[in-house]
Amino acid sequence: MTLRRITARQMRQFVTLFIASSTLVLSSACSSSHSDRIVIGSKNFTESLILGELMAQQIVAHTNLRVERRFYLAGTYICHQAILGGRIDIYPEYTGTALTAILKQRPGADRKQIYEYVKGEYEKRFDLTLLPPLGFNNTFAMEIRGEDARRLQLKMLSQAARYAPQWRAGFGYEFMERPDGYQGLAAAYGLRFASSPRVMDLGLLARALKDRQIDMAAGNATDGLIPALDLFVLDDDRHYFPPYEAVPVVRSETLRRHPELADALARLGGKISDGEMQQLNYDVDGSHRDVKDVAHDFLKKKGLLEPASSTPAAGNLAQ
Amino acid sequence: MLADVAHDTNNDPAIEFRHVSYELPSGQVILEDFNLQVRRGEILVLLGRSGSGKTTTLKLVNRLLAPTRGEIQVAGDFGDDVIRLRRSIGYVIQEVGLFPHFTVERNIGVVPRIEGWPKERMHARTRELLQMVGLDAALASRYPHQLSGGQRQRVGVARALAADPAILLMDEPFGALDPLTRDELQREFIALQQRLHKTVLFVTHDLNEALRLGSRIALMEAGKLITVLPPEEFLRSDDALAAAYVRAFASGLNSSGKRGAS
Amino acid sequence: MNLLHFLLQNHQEVLELTLEHLWLVAASTLIAVLLGVPLGILIAHRPPFSKPVLTGANIIQTVPSLALFGFLLPVPWLGDRAERLAILALTLYALLPVVRNTYTGIRGVDPAVVEAGRAMGLTPRQLLTQVELPLAVSVILSGIRVAVVISVGLATIAAAVGAGGLGELIFRGLAMVNNQLILAGAIPAALLALLADFGIGLLERRLRPR
Repeated sequence: MTLRRITARQMRQFVTLFIASSTLVLSSACSSSHSDRIVIGSKNFTESLILGELMAQQIVAHTNLRVERRFYLAGTYICHQAILGGRIDIYPEYTGTALTAILKQRPGADRKQIYEYVKGEYEKRFDLTLLPPLGFNNTFAMEIRGEDARRLQLKMLSQAARYAPQWRAGFGYEFMERPDGYQGLAAAYGLRFASSPRVMDLGLLARALKDRQIDMAAGNATDGLIPALDLFVLDDDRHYFPPYEAVPVVRSETLRRHPELADALARLGGKISDGEMQQLNYDVDGSHRDVKDVAHDFLKKKGLLEPASSTPAAGNLAQ
Repeated sequence: MLADVAHDTNNDPAIEFRHVSYELPSGQVILEDFNLQVRRGEILVLLGRSGSGKTTTLKLVNRLLAPTRGEIQVAGDFGDDVIRLRRSIGYVIQEVGLFPHFTVERNIGVVPRIEGWPKERMHARTRELLQMVGLDAALASRYPHQLSGGQRQRVGVARALAADPAILLMDEPFGALDPLTRDELQREFIALQQRLHKTVLFVTHDLNEALRLGSRIALMEAGKLITVLPPEEFLRSDDALAAAYVRAFASGLNSSGKRGAS
Repeated sequence: MNLLHFLLQNHQEVLELTLEHLWLVAASTLIAVLLGVPLGILIAHRPPFSKPVLTGANIIQTVPSLALFGFLLPVPWLGDRAERLAILALTLYALLPVVRNTYTGIRGVDPAVVEAGRAMGLTPRQLLTQVELPLAVSVILSGIRVAVVISVGLATIAAAVGAGGLGELIFRGLAMVNNQLILAGAIPAALLALLADFGIGLLERRLRPR
């Protein structure tokens, strides 16, 4: 057929179609409103999943909102981008991570100060709201075997530093690399080990410690295996490690549209201790229970599923 | 803007080359100190072998190429406006160069269209031209790929004549056609020229064609003008190259050359 | 089958991510065309520039996509929003096919046609819009088609840096070892690519000059 004639007519059809579909695509991409649907994200490790699930169930129990779960997002940056882009409304973050990874500041030691700073910056820069911390501090944990702790009567890291020359240490890759990892720690506590630390996968550290291949490991404070394998977390008395308090991060716009969210999630504030988080992690990782069940049982136990008619103390007494 | 044959000053040449040289950037000399006057209403044939510079000479007229030295004057007030100059000159090449995505009618109407002619005028002109070049009016809505070689070149000529230019530049226009069609088109072109009286600069390497069509033949070799003679004188010329040409084409002279044999 | 059931249940999310994916592809392709076609025309008319430009575009294409996303992350304004850097990266990858095909398309126009056009007194602009572009449009579209298909594929990787789109389903599915999730992302992405290839291919064929 003729090039000219087809071009004119076809072009008009094509252009119209293109404009129509572009408008459709653009308008849908621009609008980040999920109407009455709340999307909760989480990172791709167990603890984050549990926290995401806890928040999801809390919201379902105390509001009329529908909840959608988008878990297993591959990391801090991805979650941050997703919440900025409106693809998720809420996700659990850690104050220390927000401070160093997102806001790119040097870590400090004061919990409250860091929380306030991150909260302020998030509101100012990203229109994101930080709700009250959930209660635990998932910081780096220097672990030793429980028996050694008892035998040598060690409670604090500064005490344990004395024995370091006789010990072997084991760390994950990240801890070795980060400036606020091993290097800074060794300087802060004057740690000197018998030989250079062994580097291995995080998941293998606990076992290696138990099997006496290493004598001290850098894990996470809320590791599920800590109580299970009778490991002891030394106290960071010199406050070397920055705090990593778990907090719900919510889109301010979502909060404005659904203020009831704030109440529902604020009730989780301060309700999870280090030990309790450890236990929850173990239930999923160690006992292989379903995350939904684990979350549900915890909320029930804490009376958090009850309507907020009475004071929390009275509510707890009821069981 | 279109040169009008009626109000010209008859003795002024239509095209004049004055000391024109053309060199490639590499330094190779294509034309050297070329001087030539093309009279109004004549068919001046540029004859020579490949590489003699005849196509270059042609392209200097409509400024497809610019001279390294010297100047080319074309009758008419064009100043520096190359576009206007080109629109006033018809150009016909061997490959024809019809726009494959235009119909015959649109191809013919290219210059009228960009000159803003009203539709009816273009339409009428197309009919007129198709008739002039001996094509059936029904072909107007066909596409070049649907035409034969001879038909395509006729359209090429029609296209060149569309805006009624005073000057036609033709670069071996019938060279790619079979001998029968070539003969046909040559005859028809002669008839056309008798009607239209255009000034034609015609490039060929074929002496038969030169003798048949040209009112004068300009013989070129290696970028230089050797001699300019009317056909009868060319045949009898003493010039070595001209004579060589005549000898080389001796076989052709006994056939239907319009200007006859010895 | 399970997958169908899954898709029906989560159709809203899949649709949302598909539209997001389309947005990434459409925006980047549009920019690539707006930049690439004029650039292709430029180098077709000025051959000395063709080599450096085509080589440059070629080098960009050679950079592994994930690496390019990684390079752009620390850049101040770009890295702040994953969509921005994804669109920039996708645009860069779409440039080579568009520029190269525009160049080839324009150069491929019969020189006799171009010469005739010039000699008739068409201005360079008229020559471009009435002759060169219409005759080259099929080849240029072919380049755009390649660019779109590449973009659909690369956009799935963009999810790795948080730009969303169907790749997000794939990555989440991988992390959860959930095949349904993976397929819910992979199949629409593949379909998009096939559709684009077929659709634009059709247009190409209709516009090819005799």
